[in-house]
Amino acid sequence: MTDKDFNLSRRSFIDRVLTATAGAGMATAAPWAVSAASAAAGAEPVKSNPVRLGVIGTGDRGRALIQNIAKSRNCTVVAICDSYAPNLVKAQQWAPTARRFADHREMLDARGIDAVVIATPLDTHAKLCFDAFDAGLHVWCEKAMARTIADCGAMITHAKAAGKILQIGHQRMFHPTYLNALKRARAGEIGTLTQIRASWHRNNAWRRAVPADANDRQINWRLYRDRSAGLMTELATHQLQVGNWFLDAVPTRVIGSGSICFWKDGREVYDHVALIYEYSGGRKLIYTSLLNNARYGCEEQIQGSKGTIEPELGRIYQEVPAKVLALQRMHKDVARGHKRTVPIGGATWFPELPVTTPGESLGWGEYDETMLQFEGFGEAVRAGKPLPGLLRQAYQASVASLLGEQAMDQNQAMTWPTNLVAI
Amino acid sequence: MGIAARVERFVAMGTRIELHVFGVGSEDALVAARRAIEGVDDALTIHRPSPTTALNDELLAGHSVAIDDPVLAEALIAIDAAHALTEGLFDPAADRRFAGAGWGDLVFDRSSARIAATRPLALDFGGFGKGFALDRACAALRDAGVVCACLSAGESSIAVIGEHPLGGGWPFAIPDPSRTDAVLVEVELVDEALSISTTVGAGTQAPERAAMIRPTDGGIVTAARCTVAIDRTGGAAEAMSTALLVADAARARRLLDAAPAQRFLYDLSKAAARTDDTARMQAA
Ligand SMILES: NC(=O)c1ccc[n+]([C@@H]2O[C@H](COP(=O)([O-])OP(=O)(O)OC[C@H]3O[C@@H](n4cnc5c(N)ncnc54)[C@H](O)[C@@H]3O)[C@@H](O)[C@H]2O)c1
Repeated sequence: MTDKDFNLSRRSFIDRVLTATAGAGMATAAPWAVSAASAAAGAEPVKSNPVRLGVIGTGDRGRALIQNIAKSRNCTVVAICDSYAPNLVKAQQWAPTARRFADHREMLDARGIDAVVIATPLDTHAKLCFDAFDAGLHVWCEKAMARTIADCGAMITHAKAAGKILQIGHQRMFHPTYLNALKRARAGEIGTLTQIRASWHRNNAWRRAVPADANDRQINWRLYRDRSAGLMTELATHQLQVGNWFLDAVPTRVIGSGSICFWKDGREVYDHVALIYEYSGGRKLIYTSLLNNARYGCEEQIQGSKGTIEPELGRIYQEVPAKVLALQRMHKDVARGHKRTVPIGGATWFPELPVTTPGESLGWGEYDETMLQFEGFGEAVRAGKPLPGLLRQAYQASVASLLGEQAMDQNQAMTWPTNLVAI
Repeated sequence: MGIAARVERFVAMGTRIELHVFGVGSEDALVAARRAIEGVDDALTIHRPSPTTALNDELLAGHSVAIDDPVLAEALIAIDAAHALTEGLFDPAADRRFAGAGWGDLVFDRSSARIAATRPLALDFGGFGKGFALDRACAALRDAGVVCACLSAGESSIAVIGEHPLGGGWPFAIPDPSRTDAVLVEVELVDEALSISTTVGAGTQAPERAAMIRPTDGGIVTAARCTVAIDRTGGAAEAMSTALLVADAARARRLLDAAPAQRFLYDLSKAAARTDDTARMQAA
């Protein structure tokens, strides 16, 4: 894509975010997106005096982040760090001039950066984050926040004590389709929301090939309990954030069941989870994630009394009742100039099969929401003020995912913690 | 040349609504009619917080209330008239929890829109709401220039505007709820509404359906009956079909004789209600 083409698509993307966030109540429902998009809309055309980032962890996600940061107008990657050399080498092509480090402490000591980006395994997030704050730097860290609820809170406490920005990567919070969906839900288009049915279903082992110079714990860290809560922290966090966001609340309680059901290959984390998150007023988020059937994929079915939203598919559906057959016949009769008695008032029966109407598009496409996360972060670093509301959403999503893990491990209902850190 | 036809289908008042408009009428006619029905639902529902649940809270607490919701105020006026029309047999204040309580225990001042109860009671508009909602929708359609339309709320409440698109009345056949293929009566409507009430048939077995209360003694109506009422307004038609369902023989006779071409009552006690396959199916 040429620079000119990119500028055009960037502009249209930001316009979409601006349109989606310009609705009644959206300033309080998605304040981070409003801030980020309005800053991006007024951003200077070239990187003048950009925020200098050092990326820790240049694995799959880290490399994707580096490419997105390159698109942003106000951030630049000046240093990259990975303890596994082959991944550092792979990242080089996207940041050829960046200094390279094998140890994050060397990168912090070398100075010359304003903030770090953390894209390492979950169990390392908190420590890396503390070190960065101690070095006087701002932090952008991938979701989930940390391996324990206590560490999630400690990350926030440290940020506060250091007076630095802490932003967590939740790209859906910047996605025009999600923002549009939220706007329409808030406008009452799908009625009263009582249930969200969310799933992330895949049909693969979720296991990566281990190169000769590495070990399984290092490469497949997601499958080890001390490193990750598996499906909960790696996948469910995104959808639990969406659930809290649309229901405008945190869960009161969660029950769940987890098992290693299909991939009995020595992994420690569940390959199959099913949970119910309860919200005030009897509302629920029903969550399942599994690794041996992909038909239903990744989706949040947001269900209201007047309709349904499926943001991953980018569609909104109205509740459409089945047609009254007698009236449909009357309609056809009139069209062909025929008048017949309309039998009406008898009990009408119909089997309760799933409704398969096509619905209406909420907009869908390859968007640059991850770039926008960084433009927002860059703006926050410059202003010394975090994007409003974002950290709370991220914290609550991480806590929800870890609380779900506890409910499954302990086989008991877990109530929402009362000792969370105030934001 | 075909007649332009437009349809709006949606769920409101706990049932499926269909609005069929033929010929002229402004672009937004159907939307306006739909909003009118949703507005009545919002005002009269007792299944979620509404002006009616707020009113009930006050009446149960023994307070006198000023009705500031215009839709609720209009409904109460229509109900007052319907109560009189049906010799008190249509009574939205009859409630088994408060045996003997009824509309007569309410003091309703139309001019000031104030209402007070002389004993604790609560209102449940039931089917009346559907007819009343169709009336409001018809008014919205007429305001939008519509001259030919057929509206249905759950098939037991129908309202028509004008004549059938091909001229003459709108012909409807009311099937026997207890016997498939049998017809109870055929009627023709012009600028009228129709309401069907029954204690028989599959729809009556829906678990959420409230029992029909006889206001004269607070008992539950169990007689196997189907009633049909036609009136200028949907609200009045609903009230009348309900009244006929609960009426004793003498009152039923009086109400039927007053308008024999518009009011019908069928005793279905001899015909067994069919219940086959109901577990798998859902009532309309
Ligand atoms: N937002 C999203 O959609 C999304 C998608 C994928 C992953 N992620 C998140 O990104 C993070 C990384 O996931 P991934 O898939 O890229 O994993 P990965 O295993 O591919 O990459 C992690 C990298 O971190 C390196 N690393 C580990 N410890 C380190 C340390 N102490 N110092 C420096 N480097 C270290 C590893 O060598 C590896 O290269 C996780 O938190 C994950 O949840 C987010």
